[in-house]
Amino acid sequence: MELAHLWGILFISLHAMVPITLAAIGESIEESAGLFNIGLEGILLLSALTGALGAQASGSAVMGLVTGMATGAIVGLLFGFISTTLRGSQLISGVGINLFALGFVALMLTVMGAPGFHSVAREVQVALIPLGVGNLSPLVLVTVVLAILAWWLLQRTQLGIWIRAVGENPAAADVAGIRVNAIRLGAAIAAGVFAGLAGAYLSIDWFGAVTKEITAGRGFIALAIVVFSGLNPLLALLGGFIFGFFDGLATWVATYPGIKEIIPWQFVAMAPYVVTLAVVAGAIGRVRFPSALGVPYVRE
Amino acid sequence: MFASKSLKKQIEPIVESLLAGLVGLVIGALIMLAFGHNPLAAYRSLLLGSVGSVYSVAESLAVATPLILTALTFAVAMRGGLFNIGAEGQVYMGSLAAVSVGLLHLPAPFNLIVALLAAMIAGIVWSLPVALLKLGRGVHEVISTIMFNWIAHFFAFYLIANVLTDPKRGDRTISIIESARLTRILPTATLNTGLFISLLTVAIILFLLWRTSTGFEIRAAGYNPHASHHAGINIRKQVLRVFLIGGAVAGLAGAIQVMGRPPYYAVMSGMPQLVNLGFDGIGVAMIGRNHPIGIVFAALFFGGLMVGGRIMQFDPGVPFELVRVIEGVIILALAVPELRRQFSRLKGRWGRKE
Amino acid sequence: MASHSSTRTPVKKGDVLLEARGLSKGFPGVWEHLILDKLDFDVRAGEVHTLLGENGAGKTVIANILSGYYEKTEGEILVRGVPVHLRSPREGLAHGIAMVHQELMLVPAFTVAENVMVGLDAPAFSYDISRVEQKLEELVERYGLQVDPRVRVEELSAGQQQRVEILKVLYHEPEVLLLDEPTSLLTPHEADQLFVVLRAMADEGKGIVFVSHKMREVFAVSDRVTVLKLGKMQGTCHISDTNEEELTRRTFGETVPEYMERPAVQSEALALETCALVPAGLRKNPDAKGISIKVRCGEILGLAGVSGNGQTELIEALTGMVSPDRGEVWILDQNLTGQPPRVFIDRGVAHIPERRKEIGIVEQMYVAENVALKDYRKQPFSKATVLNRQAISDHAAQIVKKFNALVPDLWETECRILSGGNVQRLILGRETWRKPPVIIASHPTEGLDARAIRHTWELFLELRALGSGILLVSEDLDEIMSLSDRIAVIFDGEIVGTVDGKGANRENLGNWMAGGINRAA
Repeated sequence: MELAHLWGILFISLHAMVPITLAAIGESIEESAGLFNIGLEGILLLSALTGALGAQASGSAVMGLVTGMATGAIVGLLFGFISTTLRGSQLISGVGINLFALGFVALMLTVMGAPGFHSVAREVQVALIPLGVGNLSPLVLVTVVLAILAWWLLQRTQLGIWIRAVGENPAAADVAGIRVNAIRLGAAIAAGVFAGLAGAYLSIDWFGAVTKEITAGRGFIALAIVVFSGLNPLLALLGGFIFGFFDGLATWVATYPGIKEIIPWQFVAMAPYVVTLAVVAGAIGRVRFPSALGVPYVRE
Repeated sequence: MFASKSLKKQIEPIVESLLAGLVGLVIGALIMLAFGHNPLAAYRSLLLGSVGSVYSVAESLAVATPLILTALTFAVAMRGGLFNIGAEGQVYMGSLAAVSVGLLHLPAPFNLIVALLAAMIAGIVWSLPVALLKLGRGVHEVISTIMFNWIAHFFAFYLIANVLTDPKRGDRTISIIESARLTRILPTATLNTGLFISLLTVAIILFLLWRTSTGFEIRAAGYNPHASHHAGINIRKQVLRVFLIGGAVAGLAGAIQVMGRPPYYAVMSGMPQLVNLGFDGIGVAMIGRNHPIGIVFAALFFGGLMVGGRIMQFDPGVPFELVRVIEGVIILALAVPELRRQFSRLKGRWGRKE
Repeated sequence: MASHSSTRTPVKKGDVLLEARGLSKGFPGVWEHLILDKLDFDVRAGEVHTLLGENGAGKTVIANILSGYYEKTEGEILVRGVPVHLRSPREGLAHGIAMVHQELMLVPAFTVAENVMVGLDAPAFSYDISRVEQKLEELVERYGLQVDPRVRVEELSAGQQQRVEILKVLYHEPEVLLLDEPTSLLTPHEADQLFVVLRAMADEGKGIVFVSHKMREVFAVSDRVTVLKLGKMQGTCHISDTNEEELTRRTFGETVPEYMERPAVQSEALALETCALVPAGLRKNPDAKGISIKVRCGEILGLAGVSGNGQTELIEALTGMVSPDRGEVWILDQNLTGQPPRVFIDRGVAHIPERRKEIGIVEQMYVAENVALKDYRKQPFSKATVLNRQAISDHAAQIVKKFNALVPDLWETECRILSGGNVQRLILGRETWRKPPVIIASHPTEGLDARAIRHTWELFLELRALGSGILLVSEDLDEIMSLSDRIAVIFDGEIVGTVDGKGANRENLGNWMAGGINRAA
């Protein structure tokens, strides 16, 4: 294996890390407040589409990313509203979001011309930073910064204390005067924004296209990373990189002569999911979840 | 007063499903308008396309057949208080198991039964670990079932391309052996005797849940684990049961999809006849309120939507994918508890503060 | 948060800090009697004023209203003579009133300082943890409340956690402090330490309201004491003007209930026996003696005690719901310690639980299903796992009729809509129809009308005559004294006294229930 291959794998890993880590960071904030959103996958898909459209309509990649984030915010708001004010089932609304996104994106792709596929014009893709050994997306750096900021928010601010109190013991937070549902709604919107950014990244940056399968279960891997990292955004960065690594490895194995005959690509493709399962099964015993996770708060 | 109250209570979930369906159709209509289509023409096409002829009714039933089963997988788990969204992967494994029975070269009469059994066992093999992980390590079934779905996805690809491949055609598996194929009911449609298997399963599950002590325990534990524990019910056993039943039923769905599909009776690469059966089944279960009878109606509704949707695509040209959008909206509407009450709350918003 | 004492006028000892006039409280739906019935109550600077009463007397409710957690239905609240309307605990805090609840309202994963920060009125992106820790250290010094502000709450003992609750509240420098049963989690030694702290606070000029049912504490720490019974005032006086007997009488009542005559206990066979049983969940010291009781066949043993003294944990061990920490449980001469509930049920243990709707029934299921909840496995209700609906229906109809339960339908009515009393009738029927040899009844007649109570008592005596051994757990001394052949009193997780039921002295019992000093063996 040559050095160029190693760099190649590293860059793929970093790029693959971005969407799942971003979604995981947002979900860490959300789960810290006690909400469990399995609709992340749907948000990723929707914002992949809207981000691409936004970029093309405005001619700017940044606007595309912003559009994606706005989409995520709206869906997050909807989810938060159903889960807090309406006291609805978080699992069911998450499934609804996923189904809706699947249908809506497929619909839009058909309407826009080629069913199932839409490529994003080169000019509006995010510009990569040429680094000699490869091209790095600036969003990799953004992800790292956001991970640090999210950690700081949760662990080193008054707001973080309130968020975590709401997730652990909403009754105690209520008695202390905190507006539980307002905090949860805010966390849901935040998670949506992060997932929206991740989705837009998929279409405008990494793949340069929008397809129906662009998310490939990444929303769910993000959920697993949240578990694995114990709701810690910094550890989510690490987790995201590990899974991104397998992503990169799968691509490399599928194409590298000599290896691809020995190891069928399907097994490498399976690897992230198997590893997720193993890690989650092993980690669950250690990890402590907010005690009020997934339970709507009703004041007695 | 009491009698009418209980009748009202029975109608309530049906009303909510209908209301949610209405919300879905309205939103669908709005989207159609946004694209310049005529919703009324589209829905008319949809209706005619789904039940307008014997052929279309047969097709709707054919689509509904496996959906009934995957919906039951989800519904039985929900009755037990659990969230099993692993039907997707269990279906893949079931279908491939049914195909591989052909390799055993059994005497002709046995093949059908063995194929069905093999599929159910394969489904169980894929669902049992989820239950064990939950009981042993506390892993939430949402995450583990999703992971198993994706692992099944790739494993199935591998098997289709490498192990069970048809030697003459690299893009699909070997065919289901002749004696194991399900007979068609109508010569032109894909509807086959698998429908009866589905309906039989519905009857069995209905009986199981409400007429046996096993079902009683599952439901009680799903409603109130603490009280059930107090009453002597083994809570942990119910988790196992629910996933066992779910896996078997989903595997069966996979088998039917292969054993009843002319002209090849094989699993194509990319699994077009299997993909999304699990997820759509979740939608069907929710609209059917997790009740076997409701599921049959909901599956028919879905089947109609799918079949009619294809016709709607030709004329007036509304894309088929809209059907899934409507699905998603309906589910979202169902996520809101007591939907009808929320509507009346919105109307009477000023005045009393709740 | 700004220190409030600096902005208020200084107090003299004896000034009325907080006053309630004509305070009433009714909960919607509970129209039988008011939770609080026109109470007048006041707290003065420099005093520790104890609210004494049994469970259900209303002491927690009045404390919650005074601190702003609950809304009053009628009456006035005055702070330093000025009428106020408290809509939330935050408003109470702004007026200088703080409450320490009986249940801990802490975030276990947070440190002590972080828990205090939850209640701070600070800007969202600030993080003043060092200032909080510093101030906490000062408070710890000042009041002697040994707690390290940097330790995580989940690592602290229950007693220390209680102290954290107090610190949390002291941080806001209240003038009036309400504490609801603060010693429920403390050892006697820790409780004494707490009293020293409370005394110090009172001497500073604060007004302390101390809610309790324990006589020892009342005399250890109070200046004045107010007795509440069933939401009504029974009197207020200075502690020096009263004594234990009088207070016990006022708290637990004076009437001598009618002892129901019955033939003497015949058998010596044991229905139920525990040996040095230490149930799980009791936060007790490692060398606790454990509970040793015996119930003979054909005997009713009444277990008297105020709720929260270990009865729930004991029953969990006796029914198999939770494995005990130490000791043994013998049912009809078989050691069933640690077995699951199914084994106990099959052996013949019936349980009428205290929390009817949460544990006694599955409220989303129908009447007939709930009546069959423990028997569905057996003939004739099922055969080879197939349920016999007809048999279940017939049986349920019988039970409903015999126990006068008001149910509209057997298969269409979810138990969720039934009243508590009706649910109890169903449960009584379900548990007793097989004439079980061992019955554990916990608060069996709470919420029932007089006629139903009478019927239940007669039922128990009937079953007793047939040879059942009954453990009757109740707070209602009338019930205990009418029914029991023998009476044991539980306090703080231990049996503190056992007497014959006939001719038992009510004052004595009340005394023991309150952990009184007067313990005759």
